Amino acid sequence: MLHLLKIEWLKIKKYPAFWWMLGIVALTYPGINYMFHNAYEKIISRKDMASNVAKFLLGNPFSFPDAWHSVGYFSSFFVIVPALLIIMLVGNEFTYKTHRQNIIDGWSRNQFIYAKMIDVALISFIVTASFTIVASIFGSYYSDAVHLTRWSEELQYIPLFFLQTFSQLSWAFLLTFLLKRAFIALGIFVFYSIIIENIINAYMKFKNWEIREFLPFEISNRLIPMPNFLGKINTDSNDAYKKALTDINYHIFYTLILTTLIWWLCFALNKKRDL
Amino acid sequence: MESVLSIQGISKNYGKLQALANVSFEVPRGSVFGILGPNGSGKTTLLSIILDILSAQTGTFEWFEKTSSCESRKRIGSLLETPNFYHYLSAVDNLKITQAISGRGTSGDIDSVLEIVNLSQRKNSKFSTYSLGMKQRLAIGGALLGNPEVLVLDEPTNGLDPVGIAEIRNLIKAISKQGKTVIMASHLLDEVEKVCTHVAILKKGSLLTSGAVEEVLVNEDIVELKSSDIIALENILENYPNKTNLKKEENRIQLFFPAGSANLEDINKYCFEKGITLNLLLSKKKSLETKFLEITGTSNN
Repeated sequence: MLHLLKIEWLKIKKYPAFWWMLGIVALTYPGINYMFHNAYEKIISRKDMASNVAKFLLGNPFSFPDAWHSVGYFSSFFVIVPALLIIMLVGNEFTYKTHRQNIIDGWSRNQFIYAKMIDVALISFIVTASFTIVASIFGSYYSDAVHLTRWSEELQYIPLFFLQTFSQLSWAFLLTFLLKRAFIALGIFVFYSIIIENIINAYMKFKNWEIREFLPFEISNRLIPMPNFLGKINTDSNDAYKKALTDINYHIFYTLILTTLIWWLCFALNKKRDL
Repeated sequence: MESVLSIQGISKNYGKLQALANVSFEVPRGSVFGILGPNGSGKTTLLSIILDILSAQTGTFEWFEKTSSCESRKRIGSLLETPNFYHYLSAVDNLKITQAISGRGTSGDIDSVLEIVNLSQRKNSKFSTYSLGMKQRLAIGGALLGNPEVLVLDEPTNGLDPVGIAEIRNLIKAISKQGKTVIMASHLLDEVEKVCTHVAILKKGSLLTSGAVEEVLVNEDIVELKSSDIIALENILENYPNKTNLKKEENRIQLFFPAGSANLEDINKYCFEKGITLNLLLSKKKSLETKFLEITGTSNN
């Protein structure tokens, strides 16, 4: 495994798009969270009843320990950035036929897929680390002395963020692996993840079809549910929020199954197909 | 003789198109084995199968007398079809990947193969900035890395200028002298004739013949004759001993003999004694190309 990681790192470290991705992540993660922090400030600065309730009930979602949850949720909007990198890296292998050369030089077909899995894990790890840093900074900055001591209470959002990213990047890999063309894969990934699934999801929600929780991205989106300060502040929505939190455990299980299936499919297809 | 590669009954279809039909042959250790055939004859498909890039519908092959595996591929330096490298990496960085995957060579060896293929000056430039010939040379360098015991080269002189072609030929000869085995696909006869010890000829996916070059591409002697009475000449030559064939072409006659057995003096004497005076008598070497066209049946004659 370490050997494969070393080889993949040789491919990635001098790829300009990798450093671009890091740069964009370094800008967008703090940017989006700062934007939503401002939105939160606007809610509580209103003088009405609801805002006071919100302030009282919820506390600052960007202080510890909620910072892990809130920052994770907003940062995960930008999964398209690492997905673009995965699609380009894998697309390159097919465009420049290096996927054949790697085999000719002595990899087994399975090793090629393992190596790509390592890429997806590595990129997921890097963006998770970026999210962790941004969340720590937000948490430290917006916490008072009491909240600071609670910094370690919701650390589970770090592995959840990793799992969510890994699962969604696995889709990006599968698409590129099947289509072998970066541009088409990217088009489909963006169009589906940003537009199509949201439309289907909204329609199913309207129809009250609970099966929507199994949509390809929704299944892992539910690992980090929407923070409750964005919803209406009433008993109903609070119950829904609590349910969403309990459902995380099921979605860990569903996401693991889905992601395993994606990779199993890649291994199985790659075993026999002509390269 | 020990075989480096043994191919048994390999067939491959692309849909309805039969790319390879029941191809079998052995590549002896230490040979320079040319796989010869016109474009589309299945050369690259065959090499892709033995390198595990494509899977055959039927048939098997063995490297080093064992079932093929990634371990056997690591012992083979290969250039298949096109130079396949990461376009954003330099020659050195690309070969580092080749080295890490195959386990062949050291970082010192990377510099020395780049020296051999004349890329030292540009070793730190990105692959995407290379000319076609430079890309091809880097691919050959990658195959040479770590001095593997077998080289598989698919059209190795593609895209090279005449000087580059001569360099690669000399390189292949030198490698062969070290006792290494070279398997080379080419549609250039001249290339095969100049460097190969063994040859297999493919046409439309079928193996026409294979064996040592001197056996497969054996030349015959051709003698061309002319006289004022061409009909009388043809009549007397019908009975000429030892000839393998007689052909009449416009106003001249061609006599065919087994290689090295034609004797012009005897023919001249024979004709004169039969009352025919020749006004042309010359010995022609049959070109390898004619022979190849004959074997592959693509000749117009």
